[in-house]
Amino acid sequence: MIGFAIVTRNLVKRRGRQRALDGLSLSVPRGAVMGMVGANGAGKTTWMMTVAGFLRPDAGEIDLLGNGPFDATRHGGRVAILPQDSELPLEDTPEGALYRFGRLQGLTAAAARRSVRETLAAVNLTDRARSRMRTLSHGMRKRAMVAQCFVGRPEVVLLDEPLNGLDPVEADRLRRFILSQRGRQTIVISSHNLEDIERLCTHVAFIEKGRVTRMDSVASITHATDRIVFTLVHEPGNIAALSAAVPGASFEWRAAERLLVCTFGDEAGGVAAVNRRLLPALLAQTDVLAVASGLSLEEAFLSRSPTVV
Amino acid sequence: MRTLWHIWQTALGEWGGAIRSRRALVLLVLYLGAALLCMNGTISVLGRMEKELAVVLQLPDSDETGVVSASLWKSKPFNRIVRSVVGESPVLDDISGRHPVELIYAWFVFLCAPLLTVLVAGTRVSEDLRSGAVRYMLVRETRLEWSVGKYLGQALMIAVALVVSAMGAAVVAFCRLPSGTAASLFLPLLNWGLRAWIYSLAWLGLALGISHLTRSPGRATSLGIVAIGLFGALPPLMDFLHSFHGWPGVLTHLRMLVPAGAEMSLWRFSAVPLLSGSFHLVILGLTYLMAGAAFFCRRDV
Repeated sequence: MIGFAIVTRNLVKRRGRQRALDGLSLSVPRGAVMGMVGANGAGKTTWMMTVAGFLRPDAGEIDLLGNGPFDATRHGGRVAILPQDSELPLEDTPEGALYRFGRLQGLTAAAARRSVRETLAAVNLTDRARSRMRTLSHGMRKRAMVAQCFVGRPEVVLLDEPLNGLDPVEADRLRRFILSQRGRQTIVISSHNLEDIERLCTHVAFIEKGRVTRMDSVASITHATDRIVFTLVHEPGNIAALSAAVPGASFEWRAAERLLVCTFGDEAGGVAAVNRRLLPALLAQTDVLAVASGLSLEEAFLSRSPTVV
Repeated sequence: MRTLWHIWQTALGEWGGAIRSRRALVLLVLYLGAALLCMNGTISVLGRMEKELAVVLQLPDSDETGVVSASLWKSKPFNRIVRSVVGESPVLDDISGRHPVELIYAWFVFLCAPLLTVLVAGTRVSEDLRSGAVRYMLVRETRLEWSVGKYLGQALMIAVALVVSAMGAAVVAFCRLPSGTAASLFLPLLNWGLRAWIYSLAWLGLALGISHLTRSPGRATSLGIVAIGLFGALPPLMDFLHSFHGWPGVLTHLRMLVPAGAEMSLWRFSAVPLLSGSFHLVILGLTYLMAGAAFFCRRDV
C-alpha cells in the first residue's frame, strides 16, 4: 500500500473576501517529488504555508506524516520548508544558522556539524560558510535557504520556488542535488518553471483558483508512455504506411511546428517497441530531426482540461 | 527537557545575533553610558549641595560627598521632618542610613530601565515576523518555545548590561570618592543593578508581549513607549482617584497589575517583601509575554 506523506482534504483559507484555498485536496505519496504548477495566486504558496503550520486553515483537514496537522512537538525536525519572501537572519552565517537549526532538530553537535558541512557542499556554499548572510549575494542567500531544508534530512521538504534567482550553473547543481534526494525524502516543489518541474518531479499537481484541477504522475500527465512526438523535415506523405507499422496508433500532423504526434495504446508494447517499428517507416519518407516521448509538461498544462479532482 | 533545550537554543541564537549585529554593544553602551553619567553627575551635584547645606546648617564641612547627607540622616529632628512629609514608610526605614550616592544611582537605574528595555528589546519579535526569519524556527520548535527563548535571551543580555553598568558606576565612585567609601559602595551598586534587572524583567515581558502583536518594529517601539507612559502613570493616578473621591479600594489594587506598582518592594531590604515583590514582577513579566504569545500562537505568520 502506498503511504502518503501529506494528505490535505477540502482545505479552505480565506484572505479577506478571497479564498486563497477553495477546498484544495491533495495527497503526496511518501518518497515522491511533487511539483505544484499554477498561475500566480493559484494557492500554491498558501497551501505550503498551511501545511507547514504558518497559516491556519479556515476549514478542511491536514494529515502530515500520519500525525495530524503540523505541530512542532510532533513534526519538529521532520518537516522543512523554503518559504517565499523569508530571509535567514542577516547577521548570521550560513554555517551558524544551519548548525543552530540542526541542534534544534535534535542532532548532536557532531551530527549537526557533519550535516551542515554536507548540505553546504551540496549547494556549493562551503567557501562562504562563515560569511555573514548580509554580505552574500541574493543567489548565495537563496542557496543557504535551500540548504537549511536538508539539514538533518527531514522526511518532508517543501520548496517554494527553489531555483528562482540562481545562475544557470548553480540552478543545475541544485537540480542534480534534488534529483539525488528522490526516493529518500518527500519533496514538494512549487515553481513556474515547468521544465524544472518536469525534470525534477515524479508527480505533478495543477492548481487553479485554490483547487487541484489535476494530479498524477508526470509520465501520465505528459503522456510519456502513450505518445511519441517526432520533429520532421517535412510532412510524411504516406500515413497509411505508418499506421500499418503500428496498428491501432493514431497520427496527428502539426504543420506549423513540423511535429508528428503518434498516440498509441498499451497493446502497442510501449515507447521503445513503437519506435522500433515506426522509425524505419518514417525514415523511408522523410528525415527525423528529433524524437520525444510524450508532451512537454508546459504543453500538457496549457492544454489541460479544467477538471477538478 | 526537549522544550528547555529549544528555549535555550533560541536564547543562545538571540545572544549570538545580538553580538554579531552589535545590538548587544549598543545595549551595553546605553546602560554603561547612563550609569557613568548618573554616577558622575550625582557625585558632583550632591557635593555642591552638601557644601551649601553645610554652610546654611552650620554643619562640619567635609570634602567627601555624602558625609553631610549621612549626618542629616542620623539627625533625629531631620528624620522626624522627613517622616512627617512622606509618612511612616517601611521603605524609608530600610533605606535610611544608606549612602545617598547609592540611593540616587538606584533611583536613576530604576527610572531608566523600562525605557532602555523597550528601546532595545521591543522590536525583537516584530523584526523576525517582518523578515520571515521566524518561519525557519517555527518548523523546528513551538511558537511558545520560541517566544520564551527570545525572552530568556534578552533577559540575560540585560543582566550583563546592568552588571557591567553597575561596575562602571563603581569605577566612577572609586575615582571621585575616597577609596574607603567607594569600596563600600561596590556591592550595594551591584545589588541595585540586580534589583533593577528584576524590575526590567517585567518591562521586558511587556515589550516583547507588545512586539508579538505587530510586524512593524517601529510600531512595536511606539506602542512600547506608550505602554511605559500608561503603566507608569497608573499607580499615581489610582492613588489620586482613591484619595480624592473615596473610590472603592479595589482601584488601589489595580496598581499591582503594572510593574511600577510593585517597584517599591525592590527598595526593601527585608527578605519577605523583597522576595515577594521580585516574584510578583517576574510573574507580571511572564504574564505580559504570555498574553502576547497567546495572540502570536493564533496568528498567521
